Amino acid sequence: MTTTDSPVSAERSRRQLPSRREVWSGRSPFVQGLVMLAPAVLIYAVFAFYPMLDVIHLSFLKWNGLTDNRPFVGFNNYVQIFTADPVFWVAFRNVVIWTSLSIVIPPMIGFSLALGLNQPLPGRNPLRAVYYLPVIIAPIAVATMWRWMYDPFSGLFNQILTGIGMPGLILDWLGDRNVALYSMFAASVWQSVGFSMVLFLAGLQGVSQTLLEAARIDGAGRFGSFRYVTLPALRSTVTIVLILSLINSLKAFDLVYGMTGGGPAQSTQMLAMWSYTQAMQLGNFGNGSAISVVLLLVTLVIVVPYLRWTLRREDASA
Amino acid sequence: MNALAAPFRLAGSSRIDPPLVILWACLILLALVWVVPFVFILFTALKSQSDIMGGNPFGLPVSPQWQNFAHAWVRGNFSTTTFNSVFITVIKVPLGILISAMAAYSLARIPWRGQRLLFLLIVFGTMIPFQVMLAPIFGVVNGFHLINTYVGVILPYLAFGVPYQVFILYGFFKDVPRELSEAAQIDGASHFTIFWRIFLPVSLPVLAALLILDFVATWNEFAMALVILQAKGMWTLPLGLMSFQSQFSSNYGELNSAIVMTVLPAIIVYLIFQRYFVSGLTTGAIKE
Repeated sequence: MTTTDSPVSAERSRRQLPSRREVWSGRSPFVQGLVMLAPAVLIYAVFAFYPMLDVIHLSFLKWNGLTDNRPFVGFNNYVQIFTADPVFWVAFRNVVIWTSLSIVIPPMIGFSLALGLNQPLPGRNPLRAVYYLPVIIAPIAVATMWRWMYDPFSGLFNQILTGIGMPGLILDWLGDRNVALYSMFAASVWQSVGFSMVLFLAGLQGVSQTLLEAARIDGAGRFGSFRYVTLPALRSTVTIVLILSLINSLKAFDLVYGMTGGGPAQSTQMLAMWSYTQAMQLGNFGNGSAISVVLLLVTLVIVVPYLRWTLRREDASA
Repeated sequence: MNALAAPFRLAGSSRIDPPLVILWACLILLALVWVVPFVFILFTALKSQSDIMGGNPFGLPVSPQWQNFAHAWVRGNFSTTTFNSVFITVIKVPLGILISAMAAYSLARIPWRGQRLLFLLIVFGTMIPFQVMLAPIFGVVNGFHLINTYVGVILPYLAFGVPYQVFILYGFFKDVPRELSEAAQIDGASHFTIFWRIFLPVSLPVLAALLILDFVATWNEFAMALVILQAKGMWTLPLGLMSFQSQFSSNYGELNSAIVMTVLPAIIVYLIFQRYFVSGLTTGAIKE
């Protein structure tokens, strides 16, 4: 965490401390560094960092987003979303279900695919490309595609079910409030498996071939070398994939917006979408922001320890 | 490469391994499942309405209805949305990489006090989900009177692109050997020159990877565009597709043509630059 405090770098920065003339002529490394930093830092500060602080501020106000009249109402908005907004808890429950599924199913499929596609198989590169392809498609297009596949009359799924003589299984995939969330999740699996697969494939490159060879010579079977060589070497990859899947799942917005809009009967509503609906469509910026803050806090609880861990690794490898 | 030299054979063995053949068959079957949605969309895009309602979903489009594309293009206002998407992407992506690279160079190579804190604040941004903060982003952009302008959407795009790119390039620039820049420094070259003449050229593969990833991210972005670009004439492709879906949802042929036209550019870019995708994704997440 504190590399700048090490004697070597402190010495270096003292050496490069500019004289006043250097500063004003633009020759000093400090000024040059500042000029190079400025565009990115300014834009980031104003358009990414400030909104994050602003959302906290907005969550204590009552505001319709248009007028200048925005009185301070304390924790009123929070009280309202927690006690008077039944949709908030539905959305909260859905986020919990969605996130739990998202950190288990796509990473597991991705992991299996990566293990398989790491074997000496013909055509494994085209196969990898196929599994990765949905990752690069706009989520909103995935939503549109799957909505059409779920079409109750001419959509792919119900056509197949009719075709194989099982019309009893036909469902209104996105119109039935008991299945809509899971139908949406299937689209998400299709889109996100390739992402975990690629990360796991990269992780598998780091498994020591020498160790695998040694295990084989010592008579370890397929399972043995997997359990005692491959799996331990993948520990950090697993952490990374789980965290990234988790963060991505908290952001679910495009799919919800494009597939169901949160319906039917709010059964697929999620926090990001509900916050947007409150603020931008119902003109209740206070409640919308309070929901955002809740989601931000949940994200931070997960992200901060992860970032500390990443940076420590980064420092260790530097 | 070596996979093809000895297919189906385990390391150190010259015999074909039956479980590997079974595994291979399963992987191919599952890949077919993964391809099905694409095939279905493409076939639907080429069929007439009566074919779609009555026929077999996997039936080949016997008489391809290419006019579906032409009609969707006009009805979905694709000339406008494509232009907007191309314009925003072409400006945002190179500009974003440039400012991120400069900042990363500055952070990695010009030491000053407080730098570490700044780096942490920037890296923190890699994990901020902007989907959560659409209302305050709208508020900031609105405060500058930039709603419904290209600048208004490009600035937040830049802001949310910076963290990941700075994080990756910072790691990369830190590892560039000192000797490379010291010689130039002794000759009196400024940091701008060293950055431009030495660091950018040596990091071309990373820059290419980031460029491609950012292209796809920008091309596909929906949520921020939704709140900032509200006038129809400013819509990007994802917004256009969304509106097409809500207006003409029962005209399946044209709707699917619209989907194809929206995703095709990203797919083409992916197929051409495939290897950069993988390296761009993994350099950040997985080191060594």
